[in-house]
Amino acid sequence: MYDKTVRRRRAVLVLLVVLSLILLTAYFGEAPSGRLHSVQRGFLTVISPIQNGANKALKPVRDLFGWIGDTVHAKSQRDQLLKQVDKLRRELVANEAEKRSYGELLSLYHLDSGLKVSDYRPVNATVVAKSPNVWYSTVTIDEGESAGVRVNDPVINGEGLVGKVAQTASDGAQVSLITDSSMGVSARIGAGNSVGILQPKVGDSNDLLLQYLPANAAANPGEYVVTSGTVSSPDDSLYPPGIPVGQVTSVNEESAYKSVNVRPLVNLHSVDVVQVLTAAQGTLPSNLSHLVLALPAPQSGGGASGEQLASTGIGG
Amino acid sequence: MSGSELSGSLLLRITALAVVIVFFQIGVVWEIPVFGVYIDLSPLLVAFVGLRCGSVLGAAVGFAVGLLVDLALLQTLGVTSLIFTLIGYWCGRLRELRDPQAPLTPLFVGAVASAASLIGYSLMEFLLGVDAPVSLGLLRGIVVGVVVNTVVALPMWLIVRRSLERGLPDDPRRRRRRAYTTGGLSPLSRR
Repeated sequence: MYDKTVRRRRAVLVLLVVLSLILLTAYFGEAPSGRLHSVQRGFLTVISPIQNGANKALKPVRDLFGWIGDTVHAKSQRDQLLKQVDKLRRELVANEAEKRSYGELLSLYHLDSGLKVSDYRPVNATVVAKSPNVWYSTVTIDEGESAGVRVNDPVINGEGLVGKVAQTASDGAQVSLITDSSMGVSARIGAGNSVGILQPKVGDSNDLLLQYLPANAAANPGEYVVTSGTVSSPDDSLYPPGIPVGQVTSVNEESAYKSVNVRPLVNLHSVDVVQVLTAAQGTLPSNLSHLVLALPAPQSGGGASGEQLASTGIGG
Repeated sequence: MSGSELSGSLLLRITALAVVIVFFQIGVVWEIPVFGVYIDLSPLLVAFVGLRCGSVLGAAVGFAVGLLVDLALLQTLGVTSLIFTLIGYWCGRLRELRDPQAPLTPLFVGAVASAASLIGYSLMEFLLGVDAPVSLGLLRGIVVGVVVNTVVALPMWLIVRRSLERGLPDDPRRRRRRAYTTGGLSPLSRR
């Protein structure tokens, strides 16, 4: 009797461990269009309305905790923002005149056909679930294929770049945040021409690393980092150029390449509403995305060299 | 607990508890950062089901909860299931071999389960390959995560114990306690 119980207990453990390993291997090895991915997307389609309902029902509880946290930080944030408003007002006045001249020059030389945010059809979506695991930095939104959301579509909010669409279901989608370990964004510092790859530092959601900048690239703390409008591999999302991503905090010059630490502009802990930049068939963003997908995969180390394979016209 | 003791009522209670806890975690708990990390109730749930119901049920619930988390969050299927299966089994064996009665047992079990979950996850990710640079903040995140989870372990233990109490056929501890109080069945008298 005792032996039977022990054998049964061990058999259950072995069975479950083997089942987990089979699932893991099959999922990891299959393409995103594979059977297990489809099951997962089907599950998301089923639970999306439940998550949406639960999200709305539990909002007062979240708001209460959020209110307590906001009250603690409100005073210091207000002082900081007042200083920032003064600085930005001065910059705005200076930039207005430059913008006018820049627009005239672009038209004059027919260079104004590059990809812009306005070329996209923005879809507003609400975040219904978050995965704050140290390794997976993803959120689930309540808009999916039925609203025109596709894999790799850029996702932004009022503060800047949030991430890109990783998986879609009919009424929901999973968004990989810029702090997700799988992400890499081609970006540049301010008005400079040098392009690097912005990657997260796993374990620190407030720190990104802009790598593979040329050693002579100009970088100073406080400067803004924006998307470059280029991609480093066919799997990347083609973000429109000029979307703010973060602010330089420190510069490292230890190797042949320069790297800078960047603090994300978007408060990824409290993303509630986002905008997915979708593109209809035949439009410029859609055509460029197809072009990127048709590019050959980079040779080993190609992504690390910082060389971009495709450009939107303005970037790179 | 053997499979024959698994009643429909207990199964229903565990299923309801798992679904409520996982959705509450996704909808509320993971919206509120505490000292830069998030409380993770699911390894605590699995550990306490194991501690209450034994190794077989602990492992099975660990697998199911892990699968639910991976499906709901579109993560790599099988990773969380594997880790939670081992956590549930270990906690069940702890009960079967030691039957710990100390009031601080849930704190200890909660801390070990949280550490196993966080470290196991990181190990799996390293094995599967990491493209991004890894910061030392990962270590800090694991340590703070374990501390924060340990704090909520006690209330979580009370919820799990309360929810499963009526579903369990007969608690051997209660039976033993009854025997001691009525006298005659103490291990010392069995000679």
